[in-house]
Amino acid sequence: MAASIRTVVFLAMVLAVGFLMIILSCVLYLNWLPLLVALTFVLAPLPNALFSHCGSDEFAGSYDGASSGPVDLGRFITAMIVTSGFALPIVLAHAQVIHNAACVMSIIGGGLVYGTILAYSAAFSQEESEFD
Amino acid sequence: MSLPPASYDPRRVCLNPFPDIDLGKHRRTIGVYTAGVLFALANWLFLDACIVSAHARTPWGQPDTPVPVHVTFVDWIPGICSLLGFFVINLIDKDRVRGEDGFGDARAVWRARLFLFLGFALMAGGLAGSVTVLVLKYVIPDLAEQFKYYGYANVAQNVALMLSVIVLWMAQNTSSEYEYNLTL
Repeated sequence: MAASIRTVVFLAMVLAVGFLMIILSCVLYLNWLPLLVALTFVLAPLPNALFSHCGSDEFAGSYDGASSGPVDLGRFITAMIVTSGFALPIVLAHAQVIHNAACVMSIIGGGLVYGTILAYSAAFSQEESEFD
Repeated sequence: MSLPPASYDPRRVCLNPFPDIDLGKHRRTIGVYTAGVLFALANWLFLDACIVSAHARTPWGQPDTPVPVHVTFVDWIPGICSLLGFFVINLIDKDRVRGEDGFGDARAVWRARLFLFLGFALMAGGLAGSVTVLVLKYVIPDLAEQFKYYGYANVAQNVALMLSVIVLWMAQNTSSEYEYNLTL
């Protein structure tokens, strides 16, 4: 149990550092457009979470490879949103709307935020599946 | 002197066999994620060209040298064709196209194949159109490299959309691989 508490604290710290990077990239250059990156990465796991229960009825529930159309759609949209999160600051920096350093900082921050979400779901979905 | 006997596959065509990449049961998932990434990448490439074009201004102090070219609606048309083709191809029922299941009549198979042809024709038309726009609008007037980028981005968008559709199709078709082994 102590390990899981340590994991939670560590992930929360990483999340805070990620948001710090994104907000710094906005504040330092007085341009609040990189904040969209945070919104994008927070929204990214949402389609997967929404569609993940569509394919699993009682017949195909345990078999992992049996995925249906809605599950595929959720994964497709998730991949699209994650790519958008990385592409948005690059496009903005290319058009010289935001500073290059702000672009790099917001990408690193967004990667940390999304990595936190991924690690959190990977660490705690296994524990749930042990109990059922 | 003899080479060690390679594992012989009677269906092999090339001397050096292709590397046998086996992603296992996650093949479908990886394919769908890759397709999504390619799809977003394609659209962001083109949007990047549009945004750069919209931010292109005359150099300060030289009002008599205007920006020679902008991204207009002509540049959007190939991408729109490719997107239409993308949706047409993905809305087709894959079992109908294979057409060996026995259920359903032959006309449905025929119609499914017609729709598949239409979709791929739209995508190929988009790709050809983007090359046309690149050549006619950007290469022949011999613009600066900064403006040719709009045309390159357009071609790259359509290539990436086509790759996305191919990856998605293959990923969704390989899901039932034990059925495949029965039919091979």
